[in-house]
Amino acid sequence: MTVFKGISLRYAWLSLAGVITVAPAFADGPGSAGPPAMPVQQPPSPRYEDAQVKVRVVMRTPDQLTAFYLGRGFNRAAIDKILETCFITPIIHNKALDVLWLELDEWQFSQGDKVITRIGRDYWPEKWREAGLSQAHQSTFGWTLMPEVRDLRVDEGVGGSVVIPRQTGPFRLVMKFHTGADKRGPVKTVVFEDLKCVSDLP
Amino acid sequence: MRKRPALMRFLACLSLALLSWTATAAELPKGILTLDGREAPPLVLKNMDGETWDISNARGHWVFVHFWATWCGPCRREMPTIQAIFPQFDPQQLEIVLINVAETEDTVFSFLAAVAPDIEPLMDNDGLAAERWQPRGLPASFFVDPEGRLRYLALGGRPWDTPAYLDFIKSLIGD
Repeated sequence: MTVFKGISLRYAWLSLAGVITVAPAFADGPGSAGPPAMPVQQPPSPRYEDAQVKVRVVMRTPDQLTAFYLGRGFNRAAIDKILETCFITPIIHNKALDVLWLELDEWQFSQGDKVITRIGRDYWPEKWREAGLSQAHQSTFGWTLMPEVRDLRVDEGVGGSVVIPRQTGPFRLVMKFHTGADKRGPVKTVVFEDLKCVSDLP
Repeated sequence: MRKRPALMRFLACLSLALLSWTATAAELPKGILTLDGREAPPLVLKNMDGETWDISNARGHWVFVHFWATWCGPCRREMPTIQAIFPQFDPQQLEIVLINVAETEDTVFSFLAAVAPDIEPLMDNDGLAAERWQPRGLPASFFVDPEGRLRYLALGGRPWDTPAYLDFIKSLIGD
């Protein structure tokens, strides 16, 4: 068990070179210097960091999503569409001395042997039409999603939401990153185990 | 033997090119990308007074085109540094243009009135201008040269009022 930045993590290393598995164990809950007067539960946010990349994966609760989008003026029907799904917000920082490629099509979500198909940007226009969401809000929503493809330059970071159908059980996320401006460098793989679509916290 | 001088000239040119590239890279502050100099996309937007601003009328000077939104944390942290440099540049040399992405006037006004009261933002009401310009995220700042070409892009929030960034901007306008 390793305590990293206040969150208990269990790192399980796969034998494949460059493949890292991060399995969160949250029995202890978020760590802190001392118990706060009014404990506030945070959703799990497993992290991985090495010399090349820093990744944090934040699972968004329905309350968080509702508060964020309601605060941006989204209507209730649109928020209901959002809450039908599961929002995962990875935050990635390229610490290497070369380009790191974010390509969501190179990521894989799975549950056991079952592949979970990611919900892409083309899923939303029909939902927004049904919800009567304005173009401005659609634009705002688009900015909150993770870019589909991005060449992360040295010291560049990126964050945004990746969406999958709501899952009842734990799932795995395999992130593959090509490296080098021409993508010919070694492939970096980071694996997060036991991720969960979270419900609202007490 | 005739090849030797040619080789020496080639190596000398290569060294100069590398030296020049290294110097340019070294001069760029953190998070500034050099762009390929393609023509800036069209940009015609209104400010909150309904006055139209058109980038095609901005030829002859540099333009700092900054995309932002109040819901974006790095945007909020960066904005005071833009306000700090705003009075330091003559708009005839460097025009600082803020473009709010898809928010209401009330939201923008209440934020900027406290943080950057001197700057009149342009309103990208439907967010389509930002989609045409394709910043790599919010916030993002493009530097458009006096010929209307995209020369640099600042990734994320940058401390514009610090010497490294101020010197970079001053180097652009030849100050």
